[in-house]
Amino acid sequence: MSEQIVIVGFGPVAARLIDELLPAVRGGHVSLTVVGEETEAAYNRVLVADLGVGRTTADALALSDAAALIADGVDVRLGVRVRRVDRARQQVLLSDGTTAHYERLVFATGSRPVIPNLTGINPDPASPVLPAGVTALRDLRDAAVLQAAVDGGKRVVVLGGGVLGLETALAAAEEGATVTVVHNGPHPLGRNIDRGGGAVLAANLRQCGVRMAGNARSTGVEHNAPDGGFSALLLDDGSAIDGDLLVLSCGVRPRTELAEGCGLSTGTGILVDHRLRAHHEPHIFAIGDCAEVRCPDPACADCRTAKGPSGLVGPGWRQAEWLAEYLTLLATGTQEEADALAALPQEQAGVIVLKSRGMNMAVAGSNGADPWDEDALTAGAVNGRPRLQVAQWADPEHGRYVKMTTRGGVLEGLVAVGMPRTAAELVGLFERGAELPADRSLLLRLDGPDQLVGSGPADPAGTVCRCAGVSGAKIQDAVEGGCSTVADVSKATRAGTGCGGCHDNIRGLIEKHFQAAPAA
Amino acid sequence: MATSADTHCPYCALQCAMTLTSQAELAPASEPGPVPVPADAATAAAPLPEAPLNVQGRDFPTNRGGLCRKGWTSASLLNHAGRITEPLLKGADGIHRPIGWDQALAMVTRAVRDTQARHGKDAVGVFGGGGLTNEKAYMLGKFARLALGTSRIDYNGRFCMSSAAAAGMRAFGVDRGLPFPLTDLDTAGTILMLGSNVAETMPPFVQHLQGARDAGGLIVVDPRRSATAKFTADGGGLHLQPLPGTDLTLLLGLSHVIIHEGLADDQFIAARTSGYEAVVRSVNAFWPERVQSITGVPAELIRETARRLADGARKGGSYILTGRGVEQHVDGTDTATAAINLSLLLGLPGSRRSGYGTLTGQGNGQGGREHGQKADQLPGYRKITDPAARAHMAGVWGVPESLIPGPGLPAVQLLKSLGQPDGVRCLLVHASNIAVASPDANAVIAGLRSLDFLVVCDFFLSETAAEANLILPVLQWAEEEGTLTNLEGRVLRRRRAIQPPAGARSELWIMARLAEALEAPSTYSEDPETVFEELRLASAGGLADYSGIDYAMLDRGEEAYWPYPAGSTGTPRLFLDNFAHADGKAVMTPVAPRRRRTPAANPHPAAKTMTLITGRLLEHYQSGAQTRRVSELLATQPEAKVQLHPASAAAMGITDGALVSVANERGEVLCRAELSTAIRPDTVFLPFHFPEIESANRLTEAATDPISGMPEFKFNKVWVRAAAPGDPQPTGTQHSVLQTTEAS
Repeated sequence: MSEQIVIVGFGPVAARLIDELLPAVRGGHVSLTVVGEETEAAYNRVLVADLGVGRTTADALALSDAAALIADGVDVRLGVRVRRVDRARQQVLLSDGTTAHYERLVFATGSRPVIPNLTGINPDPASPVLPAGVTALRDLRDAAVLQAAVDGGKRVVVLGGGVLGLETALAAAEEGATVTVVHNGPHPLGRNIDRGGGAVLAANLRQCGVRMAGNARSTGVEHNAPDGGFSALLLDDGSAIDGDLLVLSCGVRPRTELAEGCGLSTGTGILVDHRLRAHHEPHIFAIGDCAEVRCPDPACADCRTAKGPSGLVGPGWRQAEWLAEYLTLLATGTQEEADALAALPQEQAGVIVLKSRGMNMAVAGSNGADPWDEDALTAGAVNGRPRLQVAQWADPEHGRYVKMTTRGGVLEGLVAVGMPRTAAELVGLFERGAELPADRSLLLRLDGPDQLVGSGPADPAGTVCRCAGVSGAKIQDAVEGGCSTVADVSKATRAGTGCGGCHDNIRGLIEKHFQAAPAA
Repeated sequence: MATSADTHCPYCALQCAMTLTSQAELAPASEPGPVPVPADAATAAAPLPEAPLNVQGRDFPTNRGGLCRKGWTSASLLNHAGRITEPLLKGADGIHRPIGWDQALAMVTRAVRDTQARHGKDAVGVFGGGGLTNEKAYMLGKFARLALGTSRIDYNGRFCMSSAAAAGMRAFGVDRGLPFPLTDLDTAGTILMLGSNVAETMPPFVQHLQGARDAGGLIVVDPRRSATAKFTADGGGLHLQPLPGTDLTLLLGLSHVIIHEGLADDQFIAARTSGYEAVVRSVNAFWPERVQSITGVPAELIRETARRLADGARKGGSYILTGRGVEQHVDGTDTATAAINLSLLLGLPGSRRSGYGTLTGQGNGQGGREHGQKADQLPGYRKITDPAARAHMAGVWGVPESLIPGPGLPAVQLLKSLGQPDGVRCLLVHASNIAVASPDANAVIAGLRSLDFLVVCDFFLSETAAEANLILPVLQWAEEEGTLTNLEGRVLRRRRAIQPPAGARSELWIMARLAEALEAPSTYSEDPETVFEELRLASAGGLADYSGIDYAMLDRGEEAYWPYPAGSTGTPRLFLDNFAHADGKAVMTPVAPRRRRTPAANPHPAAKTMTLITGRLLEHYQSGAQTRRVSELLATQPEAKVQLHPASAAAMGITDGALVSVANERGEVLCRAELSTAIRPDTVFLPFHFPEIESANRLTEAATDPISGMPEFKFNKVWVRAAAPGDPQPTGTQHSVLQTTEAS
């Protein structure tokens, strides 16, 4: 008998869960229903800003194909909302009046943009109606609004210095729009980055043509455009930042109201244990942006330090993969067999890699400690736990900055601005929890020109032709013995008869000989 | 009077053309000549004789007269003191002693009959090699299935080409390594090479990269700064250094950029491919910054690589080439598929100036995978499960179709079955040194020792031959006639230049005699040309159709690229009009990285867990059974050295040249350290040419790709530490080989 699984939400995380469950669906172990509020099947929200500046197409954003899923036997319901979850009857009631029974229910409802409290914007968070010229950047319709502004050469104001705001601003600026980022605090990215990194980041953003308005507290929006739309963002110092489109990028908030409505525990998100199960409800799970992993056990050390949902898609995908395996085991075997699956490891602090074609930045973990900040470095270094070490390199003139915060050689935080290879390497080391080379400067040199290998052997006794294994000395002998062309040398010594890569060097040795001869 | 023969190098799939000149005149091929050296090593203490042949590079489109050190020195093995020139039987004391051919053949016949009487037909197995000529590879498949009646035949090409082959079949409907002549690369503006170190493995190939280097368009993907990667320096192109095991993700990231930056060839995709939409969805989640986090390759380099490929496709031409580095993984087929998908998005295959190809490794790695050595295959690249293919072969062989066994086991499974109750109990090994070249080599050696009877055909006492109950001495390349199919799918003639030793025999002769003794149905000629004529008939109508090729046209120097049906002029470039699927379209299959098994925990507190990658050195070929016996090559690379980053080495107190232990749950290697910044600090590299305590394959896992059966050679976790005083020293049989050859 096949197990009824209902997934609420059809975003990127739900899409991954569906893909991973498909073998069980095809095998007849699971019958799957997916309820999506939007009329499109899942698409890649991470790329909505790219779509908004016209860099990609909506077609290319697709993550799922509803028709293919239906052909595989999945019950796909698009453009429909779940009104209510009836836990007693194990069914969901949908906005089109139908119901769906479940044995396992998965919340993948994601999150919605935070609408800041500004004069001129309706603050109702559940159903925000944004005035003309003001948009968030979450779905395909938002992207269309941004694209119209960029195509029309309008001035764009981005409110919020988080990663999504910066990426939107950079992309729009690179596509020719006039963009201003308004953020509160001395530098963008707030507490994710340290002061030095933030300063270099801001400078690089300016270099890329983005105007930065820091330490700004916005109070309201002005609607003086000819069509009554947005015309300026008002700040608390009485100034205003003029523009034609305001993009709200003030973070996201998990969508938990449906879960709350059926009596599930919620914190920032829907509270789930290490098996992604809602507290005290073995039939309901939550993954992705809407889920907060924090188990009911007050003694759980992992959960004491756990942060809320990261808002990043990577952890959501890992949850989806794990849950698919777990649900498949539940559908094909016993509870005990499923529970034998190792619980999902706790997520690392999120890694932020700025998506941009013009500049490079990666940050992860906590970066607050400074190299000389003895209190911060020794805090927590008890019971044999090593102290923090901070290695730092700043070259603001050239837009480069690196900070590595390690404990026992393993990264706890990293900042890399303007150093692509270093950033890539550090992120990899951070994610794998791998130990850094004791000489940290190795990691700085990855972007240096000395990493490009030069050619030409310095040592005459060294091998000139690797293919045939011929030394410079042997070639010199041949030249002295009368060989005056590369072909002669090849014939006499076999040098240059393989890949041919050493012909210039052989020629050089011949020329050197004949130049030296008259002088002698 | 001197005789000379135009032939090709005995080693890799580039099959460099060479001319061999001998001072002696050739006798007719059927009469083996005098033994050039005494077989008994004890009396071989004379000064090393001069090579009996002079080797010269010959102008040919692939090598343009070039040879590498391996080719230049190849003739020295013909009269090597360690050459086996008589059948050798292992005594109860473990020592091999000469016996006569009649006795040897009778013993094989009896062993086969006894084993099959007690354990069934499939208890006799055959392990072939990608170095066998087309004629021998074809005959080995026929011999196994008809004379031995076993389904248990596979070959070492399973360790090389199987993933690329499976991916090529899936996408294009046919697998020819390079579906275009190698010289097509000369004019390309962009060449992306993934996991292939041609500067070491086939140096004369590098000439064909010069155009791309001049255009700044050589892009090499390798976790090491290999000799090939160094060619990208000084404006030659780009070097992408992904973490080992992340090639698939990198390729998905490249495809992502192609799609999202509008660089795809939409017209080509619509007209000539299917499956595009699913691939779009599958690469959507791999945007460059995410791929950077997984692979360690900066997002900007990913974008630039994608743009250069697209730019090249519009201008001079773009090629994507894969090698073992990306294919020898448990997801090797999917990785090769991802490379093919990328090439299809760009519209490269089927063009005259762009394309996708895989670089075949072994000398006849291409022909060797077409004519029936594979467990699931009949000649002409036919499927053994296809009723039409079986009927065709039954007709050619003149036997009832029911006599042809079904599919057998791929190499790793075949080797795992050695000595097992339902497994292979008697094994015949040809052109393969599985004791060194197989993954989890310790387990393979244990398997060989558990056999009831092991027969190895070789011309040296390889590590596998050393395990054999019976060694049958066979011919070297310069002593035989035949054909090989090079990495381009071009059929080449191998020609005889010297008398073989009196006691050595061709495998064709051996199979003919054994078939006779086993009263096998059908015919088994010992004449290569006669066998080739049969192969033509057998391959006719198959994917790899050789029916229009004969020795006479090859001897006239005509180009013969398969498929070459009778009446045609061959196919230098495949796919110009159609792909080989029924609808003529190439199939794009979405692929995704899989999670990997968690490796065993490191039990040594002093050891660091690192990633092991394996590969080749310029001086050696495959298991080194031949090249470790060439004194000039051995002098340069006498022993395995583990390549290690100086920073990691310093942390473990390892200095250059110090002894290092590299171990995991499967075995241990002890060898010297070679410190180099060309490798990542978390990765070590070992060449796999060396045996015993230096054998890299003691550490590789026999886990296999679910589609191709390819083992995991390039991504294994190892525990690395400085060797302790009590550890065994690398003894190095290769040293003793050198002493044997140079003792005076």
